Amino acid sequence: MNEGKGRFDIMELIKKVLFTDFVKGLVITFGYNVSMDSVITVKYPDEEKWIPYRRFRGLHTLNRTADGRELCVACELCSKACPTRCITVIPMEDNTGRGISDRVAKVWKVDLVRCLFCGYCEDACPTRAVRLGREYELACFDRNCAVKNREELLRPQPVPEEMSGGVVAKARLRTTPDGIEVVADLSETRKRRV
Amino acid sequence: MLENVKEEIQATLKKYPVKKSAVMDLLRIAQREAGGHLTREAMDEIAVLLEMQPVEVNAAAKFYTMYSVARPVGRHRIWVCRNISCSLMGSDHIMKHLEQALGVKKGETTSDKKFTLDVAECLGSCGTAPMMQIDDEFYENLDAKKIDGILKGFK
Amino acid sequence: MGLQPINPYKRYIMVTVKINGKEITVEDNTLILDAARDAGYEIPTFCYQADLMGIGSCRMCLVEIEGQKKLQPSCVTPVLHGISILTETPTVMSARASMLEFLLANHAMDCPVCDKGGECELQDMVYKYGPHKGRHAEPKFKFHEKDYALSPVIIKNSNRCVQCMKCVRVCREVVGRNVLGALGRGDHQEPTSFFRSFLDCDADGNCIEVCPVGCFMRLPYRYKTRPWDLKGADTICPYCATGCRMVIEHRDGEVIRARAQLGVGMNSETLCARGRFGYEIINSEARLTTPLVRRQRHGTLEPATWEEAFRIIKERMPSLGGNTVGGIAGARLATEELYLFQKLMREVFKTPNVDSGSRWDAAAVEGFIAATDMAEGGVSVFDCMEADTVFVIGSQVSEENPVTEYIIRRISAGRRMNVIIAGPRAMKLDSSANLLLRHYPAAEAALLSAVILDINAAKLAASADLTAAKDAKLDGHLKAAGLTIDDVRALATKLRNSESIAIMAGTEFLRYPHGIESLNLLKELLRSLGKKVRVMPLLDRSNQRGAWEMGVHPAFGPGYVKAPAPGLGISGMLDAAADNSMDALYIAGADPAALYPDEAHVKEALSKVRFLVVQDIFLTETARLADVVLPGASFAEKDGMLTNQEGRAQIIRKLLPPPGKAKVDLDIIRALGEMYDRSFGPKNAALVLDEIRRAQPMYADVSLAFNNKRNVDNKLDNKAALVKGTKAALTIRKFEQAASGQDAQYPFMLATGNHLFHSGRLTNYSKTLNDLMKGMTVEISEEDALASGLAAGERVLVSGAGFSVTLMLTVKKGTKRGVAFIAENFDAAPVNRFFRKGKGAPRVKITKA
Repeated sequence: MNEGKGRFDIMELIKKVLFTDFVKGLVITFGYNVSMDSVITVKYPDEEKWIPYRRFRGLHTLNRTADGRELCVACELCSKACPTRCITVIPMEDNTGRGISDRVAKVWKVDLVRCLFCGYCEDACPTRAVRLGREYELACFDRNCAVKNREELLRPQPVPEEMSGGVVAKARLRTTPDGIEVVADLSETRKRRV
Repeated sequence: MLENVKEEIQATLKKYPVKKSAVMDLLRIAQREAGGHLTREAMDEIAVLLEMQPVEVNAAAKFYTMYSVARPVGRHRIWVCRNISCSLMGSDHIMKHLEQALGVKKGETTSDKKFTLDVAECLGSCGTAPMMQIDDEFYENLDAKKIDGILKGFK
Repeated sequence: MGLQPINPYKRYIMVTVKINGKEITVEDNTLILDAARDAGYEIPTFCYQADLMGIGSCRMCLVEIEGQKKLQPSCVTPVLHGISILTETPTVMSARASMLEFLLANHAMDCPVCDKGGECELQDMVYKYGPHKGRHAEPKFKFHEKDYALSPVIIKNSNRCVQCMKCVRVCREVVGRNVLGALGRGDHQEPTSFFRSFLDCDADGNCIEVCPVGCFMRLPYRYKTRPWDLKGADTICPYCATGCRMVIEHRDGEVIRARAQLGVGMNSETLCARGRFGYEIINSEARLTTPLVRRQRHGTLEPATWEEAFRIIKERMPSLGGNTVGGIAGARLATEELYLFQKLMREVFKTPNVDSGSRWDAAAVEGFIAATDMAEGGVSVFDCMEADTVFVIGSQVSEENPVTEYIIRRISAGRRMNVIIAGPRAMKLDSSANLLLRHYPAAEAALLSAVILDINAAKLAASADLTAAKDAKLDGHLKAAGLTIDDVRALATKLRNSESIAIMAGTEFLRYPHGIESLNLLKELLRSLGKKVRVMPLLDRSNQRGAWEMGVHPAFGPGYVKAPAPGLGISGMLDAAADNSMDALYIAGADPAALYPDEAHVKEALSKVRFLVVQDIFLTETARLADVVLPGASFAEKDGMLTNQEGRAQIIRKLLPPPGKAKVDLDIIRALGEMYDRSFGPKNAALVLDEIRRAQPMYADVSLAFNNKRNVDNKLDNKAALVKGTKAALTIRKFEQAASGQDAQYPFMLATGNHLFHSGRLTNYSKTLNDLMKGMTVEISEEDALASGLAAGERVLVSGAGFSVTLMLTVKKGTKRGVAFIAENFDAAPVNRFFRKGKGAPRVKITKA
C-alpha cells in the first residue's frame, strides 16, 4: 500500500516538473487554431443558435392531443410535486371539449424565477400534458414576464418535437417593439464539434 | 295503467300481511300488463300503492333478471347462462351463435319483436352445461345445431 | 375470566377474546372489528360505519378466526368467548389485496379528474394494502359516460362506485328520506335515484360525506381545487342550536367547502343542507365592508371611516342614558361577545335594557328557561335518547334542527322506546314516531293541559263533581287543540308507563308563551309520579342558550343571576320607542325589523328611536333604518365560543380576516366601551372567557379543550363540555292566551318558523341554498288542497287581515287541516306582516293567484 502510494507521488512529481497537463491543454487550444474547418464557438445570437436535445429541460410547454384538445386535466399534481411551489393550477369545469376531460385548467402558470427546471412536474403529470421544452431564452426586463401562463405555454414550440436537436441552426437577431428575439432557421443546421 | 287489474291487485295485496311484501307480485302484474316490460309510470304507481319510495320499487325490479326495466322486449326471452360451468363448456360460443342466428347483439330484441337475447348468471343446471332458458323452459347440453333446431321450433 | 355480568341492570356480559395473541375483554356481542380497533389493530373497511346497519359487503375487513377455514367479515361478526382472531396473517393480507384488485377492475381510475383525488379512501387503501398492479385486461364496465347531477348540490359518477352502499343507508337510516336505492346487482349495482332523476330531497349531502370514493360529489365544489390546497378551520355550524361541529375550508380567501368528520363532534359525519352548503354567505358580495352613517336626518347611508362612525356614536349616544338607552344582541354572536355586550350596556350605558334575539318576549324567555331547566345545567341529547319516552313538542325539529332529528331517528330505530311527536305540521321524523298528535298552532297549552288532566284522572275520579268539572275543561282543551280524547289518552298512557321521559320543547312555546306554564306543570307532575324527567330545549339560533346564560336578558345577568332592577325586553323597548321615549338603541347581529312578529309596529318603533346603531354583516331590514351601521364579522372570521341548545360549550376558530374594513364584533364592542371608559375590557376573547369562567360557576369548569380528533369509541357525547347548573330564581309568569278566533272568511291558521334550507334571513345570501328553495312557498295539508281545488306547485294568493302575498303552494300529507305554513325567511314575503302584536296565530285565506 505504502509502496503504491509512494510510486504515485513520484509520478505526480514528474508530471508537474514536465508541465504535462499544461502542455496537454496547449495542444487542444493550438489544435483549434490550426484546423480552420471546424469552429467550436457558436455565433450566437447574430448568426447562429443552439438547438438543444429533446431531453433538454427548458421552458414548460402544455401539450395538446392530435385533434387539438388540451391534455391538461388540471389535477394539480405538478404543483404538488414541485419542490419550489412555482406552479399554480386552478381547475374549472368545461363541457365544450376544450380538454380531454371536462376538467380543464382555468389558470396554469409557472413562476420561472423560482423554477429550477428539475422536471418533477413532467414526471408527476398523468396525461403527459406538461413537458419541459427546449426554449431557453428566458431573460426579460421585469419579474412579471417571468410568470408564464397557460395561453403562452399552449403555443406550439418553435422547435418541433420530431427534431432530435443537438445542432446549431442558422439564426438572426431581430429587434421588435417588445425586445429582441433570435429567429432560428431550422432547415439549415450544422453539427457542433465538441 | 294498473286500472284494469284493480281486483287482481286487491286480491294480491290481501295475501301479504306487510304491504311492502307485495312488490314482486305487483311488478309481475305490471310487467304482464305492459307487454313484457316495466315502465317508469307503472313503478311509480306501485310505489304509491305500497307506500314505498319509487326508488325502492326500482331497486327490487332491477335486482331480478325476470323483470325488464324500461326496456321493451320480444315475445320470447332467451337467457344464456354465463356462469362458470357454462362458461367452461363454451357458453361464449353459444352466445355468439345465437347472436349470429338472430342477428342481434346481447341485450337486444330482434326486429320482428320475436326474441330478446340476454345473459343470465347461474340458472342452476350446471350438470347439463352449456344451457339456456327460453321463457320458462330450459334447453340443455347445447351446441350450434341444437340451437338452430330450437329456434326453428319457435318460428 | 369472562362471562361475568358487570352491570346487572344492563345485562352486559364480558367475554375474553384473543386478537393477534393479545387477550382483551370486551362486551359480548361486540363486533370483531370494534374489538380489534379497541385493541389497537387497524382493519380497513369501506362499508362499515358505526351508526349504520352492517351489511358486510366490501369484504375489506376479513379476518382469520382460528379453527375456521374461511375468513370472516369482522364488521358483521360478533365476538364469542374464547375465540382467537388473527388480523394480519398472509391470508388476510392477500384477501385484502385481492378485494382491492376486484374493486379496481371496474373502477374508472380517473383520479386526476376526480374531485375526491387526494382524500379518497380507495386511493389510500390501495396505496397501503393493494396490489400496485392490476391484472384485468378486459374492457371496464361503464354505467354512463358523463357525470350526472342528482340535485343542485350533488353530482354523481357511478363508474367510481365501490358498492359500499353507505349513501343508500345513510339516506334511509339517518336522514330518513330514502330516496336513494341500489339498482341492479353484482358489479352492475348502482346507488342512485329513481331512473337517475333529479332528487327531491333534503339536499344535506350526507351521501357525499359518507362516500369513500368520488361517486357522490359536491356540485358547488366541483373542479375548484384539490384537498391539499385548502386551509381549514374547525368551527360550529351557525345556523341552528344543534351545534354541529364542522370544518370550513378556503382556497385563496374563498370558502368553498364545509364538511363534517366521521366521529368528530356530536354530529359525526352528518350535517344538514344549511351547514354543508350555507357557507357562501361568508364571501357574499353583499357583505358590509365599511361603516355606514346617515349624515342628514333623512339622508341615505353613506360609507364612512370607523373614526367618524364612532365620533357620531359618542356625540349622539348618551353615556349615562339610563332607561332611554337599550341594546339588543343577536343570538348568533359568540358567547364572549354577548358577555361583553351586556357588560357594555349595563356598566357603561348604565341601562338594564338588554335583550337577545328579535322575536321572543323577555318574560316568555324567562319562563321557558325555568320550564326547561336550563339553569340546572346542560342536558345531552344522547342522554335524552336513553329515556323510555321522548316527547317532542313545539318544534318542527326536522326542519329547524335537522341533525338533532337524525340523532333521534338513528337512536330510536335501534332500541325499544317511544317517540311521541306533537305539532301541527307533518314532518319527516313522523315515520320514527309511534304516537303523533296533530294539534292547531299555538295550542300546545291546551294539549298539555288535557294530558295533565288525564294523568291526574285517577286522583280526580274519586269525586263525581270533580270528574264532571274535569270533563268540561277537558272538552274545552280538546276542542282548542283540535284533538280527540283517544289521542290524549294514548299520550297519557305512554307517559304513565314510562320510567324515564325526555321532553324536547321547541320555540313554539316562546312564540305562544301561554304553553310554558303547562309545560312546567307537566314536568312537575311527571316528577311527582316518580319519573325521571329530562327537558331539553330545541332552539333555532346557534348561540341562543349562550346569550341567555351570558345575561343578555333584561331580568337577569350572567349565570341567571337576577338583575337588581329589571329593564325592558325587546317588546318593551319597541313600545317605548313607539312612544318616542327611546334615545338610543344598539342592535348587534339581530334583525327585528324582519323577524319581530308585527312588522308595521317594529318599523314604526325603530324609525322613532332617536339614534339607532346597527352592527351586522349584511345590510338587513333593521340596518336600513339605522343612523350608523357597523360592519361585523361572520362566524368564519372570529374566535369564540358557542353554547348549543343542550348547553354544550364549543369553540369556533377564525379562518379568514373580516372583509374590507369590517371588524370582529368583540373588538367593536370593546372599542365602543373604551370610548366612554378607558378601562373597559377585557381586551380579547381569551381574557373575556377567563372573566366568564371566574364570574360564572356554570362555565367555571366547562371543558373547551378543542379537540378535532376522532372521539374515542365512536362516542359522540363529550359530557365535559356541558355547562354546569346554578341556583337561579326564575319566575314563570302566567300568560293569557291571545284570542285567535274563528273566522269563516280566513279558514287557515298561519304557522311560521324556519325553513329547512334557511336560518333567519342570513342564509338568503347563499346562492346554493336559494337555488334549493326554488322559490317561496306556502304549505298546507293534502286534504285542504283537495278541498279547495288547489294543486302543489300552483301560484296562490295568501291573504290575511291587511297583507297578502303570492307564493307557490306545497302540499304535505299528514299536516293538520286548517293549518298553513309560511317560513319566516323570505325577504320578499315577510311573514311578520301577517302578525299583530299581542294577537295569537293569525288567520289567512288561500286562493288561486
